[in-house]
Amino acid sequence: MNVAQQLINGLALASGYACVAIGWTVLLGAARLVNFAHGQLYMLGAFVAWAAMHRAGLPYWASIPVAVAAVGLLGAAMQRLMGRLMLEHNLTSLMIVTLGFGYVFQGAAARLFGGEPQTLASPLARGTIRMGELWLSPQDLLVFGVTAALFALIWFVLEKTRVGATVRAVAEDPKLAQLFGIDASLVYLGVFVFEAATVAFAAALVAPRSPILTSMGFDEVILTFVVVVLGGVGSVLGTLAASLGLGLFTAFFGALVSPAYTTAAAFAVVLAVLVLRPGGLAAR
Amino acid sequence: MTSPAVLACRGLGARYGASTALADVTLEVGASQMVGVVGANGAGKSTLVNALAGWSRGRPVTTGEVWLDGEPMAGVSAHERARRGLVLVPEGKGVFQELTVEENLGLVRPVADPAGRHVWTRDDVLGLFPRLGERRRHRGGALSGGERQMLALARALLAAPRVLVLDEPSIGLAPRLVLDLLVTVRRLVDRGLSVLLVEQNVRAAFEVVDRVFLLERGRVVGHGATDAMRGDPRIVEAYLGALVP
Amino acid sequence: MRSAARLLGAAVLVAAVYALPRLLGGSVLVYSTCATIAIFAVMAYGTDMVLSYLGEVSLGHTIFWAGGAYVAALLATRAGANGWVTAAAAVAAALVLAVVLGVATLRTREFVFSLVTYAAAVVAMEVAFNWAALGGSDGIVGIPRLSLPLPGFTFSGSASAELWPLALGLLVVTVLFIHRFRRSRLGLAALMVQMHPDLAATLGLDPRLVRLRVFMLSAPVSALAGWLYAYQRAYVGPDMFEAYFLVLMLTAAVLAGRRVLLGPVIGTALILLQQNYLSLGGDGDRIVLGLVLASILIFWPQGLVGLWHLVARRRSARPDPSAPGEAAAERA
Repeated sequence: MNVAQQLINGLALASGYACVAIGWTVLLGAARLVNFAHGQLYMLGAFVAWAAMHRAGLPYWASIPVAVAAVGLLGAAMQRLMGRLMLEHNLTSLMIVTLGFGYVFQGAAARLFGGEPQTLASPLARGTIRMGELWLSPQDLLVFGVTAALFALIWFVLEKTRVGATVRAVAEDPKLAQLFGIDASLVYLGVFVFEAATVAFAAALVAPRSPILTSMGFDEVILTFVVVVLGGVGSVLGTLAASLGLGLFTAFFGALVSPAYTTAAAFAVVLAVLVLRPGGLAAR
Repeated sequence: MTSPAVLACRGLGARYGASTALADVTLEVGASQMVGVVGANGAGKSTLVNALAGWSRGRPVTTGEVWLDGEPMAGVSAHERARRGLVLVPEGKGVFQELTVEENLGLVRPVADPAGRHVWTRDDVLGLFPRLGERRRHRGGALSGGERQMLALARALLAAPRVLVLDEPSIGLAPRLVLDLLVTVRRLVDRGLSVLLVEQNVRAAFEVVDRVFLLERGRVVGHGATDAMRGDPRIVEAYLGALVP
Repeated sequence: MRSAARLLGAAVLVAAVYALPRLLGGSVLVYSTCATIAIFAVMAYGTDMVLSYLGEVSLGHTIFWAGGAYVAALLATRAGANGWVTAAAAVAAALVLAVVLGVATLRTREFVFSLVTYAAAVVAMEVAFNWAALGGSDGIVGIPRLSLPLPGFTFSGSASAELWPLALGLLVVTVLFIHRFRRSRLGLAALMVQMHPDLAATLGLDPRLVRLRVFMLSAPVSALAGWLYAYQRAYVGPDMFEAYFLVLMLTAAVLAGRRVLLGPVIGTALILLQQNYLSLGGDGDRIVLGLVLASILIFWPQGLVGLWHLVARRRSARPDPSAPGEAAAERA
């Protein structure tokens, strides 16, 4: 096993995880909402992009905004339907409703896109970049670069703009925010659309790595959950750090032990962490 | 004929399940007037101001009507009332602790139509409370109780209120700070602001308000001009002797 | 005397349900549907215990369901164990898994509990899919007839028609169990933690311990359903970990209404009847099931029972004149 190669693989994986997780953790931090349809939204992002390419004949680059827009709209529709429950803070029902939606998306996707594995063909996924003994896929480099830029942008918006302060205010105390003249339900809508749009964006970038199936999505939720527990809810930097840790863990565990059980192993690690630090690693 | 009240309510009531917190409350705050609401703990003072603002931390059922500058507030959500100028500074937690002073103040959007409202700018507000300028980058949670109250008040002024509703601003403050705060507010009233003040510190309240409403078990049991209410036996008896002007 | 009448009524109901498949023609499909309804209903009661009484969402009962089935299948095929042994093993396995998950989430927030149970189910599926010892993606086939030796005779069966009495029996026992649980100290504690957490705290109830206990108590219920299902299908595979069962359990729990004793049975029956007799195809059924689950919680959170009350109230009462302004001023 080449350590340097695994490091590179780990970084590639890490940027993928980070991109998938960021929308979810912002939503969780701002609205205390667990969106169990997250994995299916990822799957839909990948398949809408694929359909844009294979049925509408669009090039890969054009399929990305299509996927983002379509899934973003879906997210908005979900939030509008769940609006009353969100204002009531009925978190139990909200979790189950998102689970139900996710299941609907799975069935609908199977109807629309079929049950066969497909490939989201990005022109960058096929090549390799060689650096001496090490190799890297251009797609991975793209994911890494885009994720870094995305995180910088999100961090900037959250910490340095009024929009970001509004989101953080609603996250801290939605009731008090109303007295400040802030329409909390509008903020919730915005954050929900953000989550849907970013996960679709992540899908368009990461899904070319391996075949896509309408039955997929569950792994993405698990990995996102691991990242959030380890990195802290709503923390942008924490998500980055935890993704890095998880990416490296997956790469090395896969190479040293077995690629099939990496999710199980990561889950076991998270369980252990939860016993020792129930608030996650980043808890104060 | 007196000018229409800036803030008025009639028959205002609130129920939490089976228990009635507020019943049939009618009061008004006129232009450039400071009205005080006093009463024992549990008399319903906070429920009253929350009902006026269309807000609460629980889920009460409210009845009655509220008007802001003559406009009915039925069906208007809390955040919309705040935008229209019915600005409440709630009891206890009135600022965001995770946000800095700068960010707390920055949350308030400038008002589109300032007609009929009292517009305070950043500079005005920082002039009133220079301490906030010094602590600009500090998180809300790192401020002292007095500074937090100043910040809450500053934020409320930036929202260009038609009426400012203050819920027990003296809680947790040292006695000297209490009077300082209330006198500052009184000066704003003299410049045209309308204020509804709910206070448990009756002595301090009587120093600054024009009219007093006495609340007992959710009902208004007495009201009148400050001087008239000073001699009211219920107030004298409940609040440690006569309040000598 | 009222409880004697109620007992008689219940006995009559059970007898009627027992005779139902035969009355409906006695075909294989009818027996299969009835047995499956009973088994899935028992599975759903496990999740319902946590959801309706504790107010939390366990998304991991598929682990107990599938785990119970796998344990039973392994022991039946590899060790030739009889029904009692496999049942006991299924219960034990469920308890062990519940303890592991429950203790890990003992001090975490509710949503972390839900996430952990969800993740556990997905991970378990992956493990079952990959591990050769559990049959990998092929699962375990050739599960023999269920055999429950009793003094005097041996109950045995493998077809739905033969297992029907046992399935119904298991369902009845489960309902009785829930009935007792509702009145038990733990059941009342769970309700109080859900409804009045402050009051519960003053009474010294630790919500996390209550959650652990209810979770552990609910696990064997779903596991026994899985145990019986293994014999009915004569096959156990990683598909038993699929989201389908989770969504079905949740829908069955909320469809009729919260804390309705026969709720999960009614819910399961409705769902399976739709699937068996009004199917829209595999994907279409999935869409229907997901939509039903989401719609109930969004539009009719009280479930069918709540809808029934709404209709009954509208038909029997004129608008109530005694509360003026009550409807007018619901806004805070």
